[in-house]
Amino acid sequence: MTKKILLLLAVALCLARGTALAQAPEPAAPAAQAQAAPAATTITDADLKAAVKPTDRTNGDPDGSLTGTANDITVSDAKAGLTVADVLNQIGANKIGVNFAWTLLCGFLIMFMQAGFAVVEAGLCRAKNANHTMMMNFMVYGVGMLAYFLIGFPLQMGGAGAVANLGGTPVLNSEFTLHLFGKDIGLFGNTGYLLMHRGTYDVAVMVIFLFQMVFMDTTTTIVTGTLCERWKYAAFMVSTMFLGAFTYPIFANWAWGGGWLAMLGSNFGLGHGYADFAGSGVVHSVGGITALACALIVGPRIGKYTRDGKPNPIPGHDIMWVLCGCFILAFGWFGFNPGSTLAMSGNGGLRAASVAVNTMLAGMTGSFGGILYMWIRYGKPDASMSGNAFLAGLVAITAPSGFVNPVAAAVIGLVAGVLVCVSCEFVERVLKVDDPVGAISVHGTNGIWGVIATGLFADGKSNYGGSWNGVAGNVTGLFYGDSGQLVAQLMGVATLIGFVFTLSFVFNLFVDWFVGQRVSAKSELQGLDLPEMGAVAYPDFVLKPEVEMVV
Amino acid sequence: MTLIGLAVTLLGFVVAFGSLGVAESTGARMAMVLAGIVISLIGIMGVLTPAYQKTWIYRNR
Repeated sequence: MTKKILLLLAVALCLARGTALAQAPEPAAPAAQAQAAPAATTITDADLKAAVKPTDRTNGDPDGSLTGTANDITVSDAKAGLTVADVLNQIGANKIGVNFAWTLLCGFLIMFMQAGFAVVEAGLCRAKNANHTMMMNFMVYGVGMLAYFLIGFPLQMGGAGAVANLGGTPVLNSEFTLHLFGKDIGLFGNTGYLLMHRGTYDVAVMVIFLFQMVFMDTTTTIVTGTLCERWKYAAFMVSTMFLGAFTYPIFANWAWGGGWLAMLGSNFGLGHGYADFAGSGVVHSVGGITALACALIVGPRIGKYTRDGKPNPIPGHDIMWVLCGCFILAFGWFGFNPGSTLAMSGNGGLRAASVAVNTMLAGMTGSFGGILYMWIRYGKPDASMSGNAFLAGLVAITAPSGFVNPVAAAVIGLVAGVLVCVSCEFVERVLKVDDPVGAISVHGTNGIWGVIATGLFADGKSNYGGSWNGVAGNVTGLFYGDSGQLVAQLMGVATLIGFVFTLSFVFNLFVDWFVGQRVSAKSELQGLDLPEMGAVAYPDFVLKPEVEMVV
Repeated sequence: MTLIGLAVTLLGFVVAFGSLGVAESTGARMAMVLAGIVISLIGIMGVLTPAYQKTWIYRNR
């Protein structure tokens, strides 16, 4: 009897102990976890036995569970077999490979924006100039790229230093500097000519070249829109060559290539230096401001203004192409902004999702801003201005897209949508500068707005590896406590308006003297397709005579 | 007038850039940079544009 009682007590104690263990939280067991740490782990035959073998796939792999295994890791020494070093190298290669693929694909998307610009500009010009406008947009790609390949890329990125997300680019290490105000002021890069100079025949350099080249080409194609219908084709080629070789690369070096604007934070304590995530200033403002300089020199189209300076509307010939082109551009913008993380793996790469959403939100609110402004002011929602407002929202969010939250992105886009309408009216009626596509306002004005908006709305939540432009911490704007960042942004604006404009103007003045910027009045009235290109865009159609356009 | 317009425009940049050496405080630098932007805008809109409007083709015909 005593034995039975003791047995029952023992069972009860065991049950109670088991229940208590089941209800108790999992013990930390630090000693056991420390033993499982990978520090001393080596890969053994036993580990590899668990791996999928090639013979396991004799019946295919419909669900994908047998594809992509340890067998696919490159072994550096067949005798030694798979080592930890092989696995770690493969992890590094995968990370950089993901970033390469992301950046290259985004570059391809941006390249397709050339088609968007071409149809927007051609749609907004008259049918008699369609071939000429398309041919400018076609050759701007080649002319710009040649200039950038020969001269522009080394000037821009020659001193950029290592780009960690692309595996490091130590060969881009030569920046020409001046010692001023007690600091080194970076002015231009000096390595990478023909992508062969000083070891720049390098896969990471190639990725940077492709990505930066399509950015530069976006800048050059902005100018062709403003100058369409009266720009001499030879002058266009020379002017584009200069923009791709010097104007754009110099400002891009200052902002992105380790130049003095980028170093405003580390050298002069102004926030994180000039911060332009994807190029509101570098790409769009440079293009828009150069367009303004050229438009002043070339002058307005015949018939745009009456003798007393009142503007005449000159509608484009195909609004369907215009709006279709806007969607092509918006599609390409998903390469422009999210691609500027240069990464999907590491150093804030996943932030690309936030950048993409900011981009689409700003485009949406931009179109609302523009359409509402036109509807209220003129009683109709103007189609071309709606398209321009859509683009203005995208331009404005380009610089801040990596630093702001979605609500700020929506506000920035809305302001841009209204701003582009006001700016177009100001340029046309007050400055009396003829801009057939509104590029000065879309890209110039709203590019500047985007640069300033970064200095206002950056919320300090983005983290691209713990620092930006060599300054620890995250970019933070005035509304979140850093007034120095706004000063850095305004310095960028002053440089765009004061320096980039002057440089563009002086060079295009030389082009005007030596080549001649403008076609003859006879060619302009006839339409540039035949006199300049030798063929019309629509040979099977009879075009409407434009007697009313002759003043 | 073209040269004057260009000089004024460039002067705006020089004023803004000069703030890095002249001023120490963020407020003073902001004031100088804003002044530089205004000077450049005057150069473009107030001097250069009116000078070029006189030469434009619709004025000459």
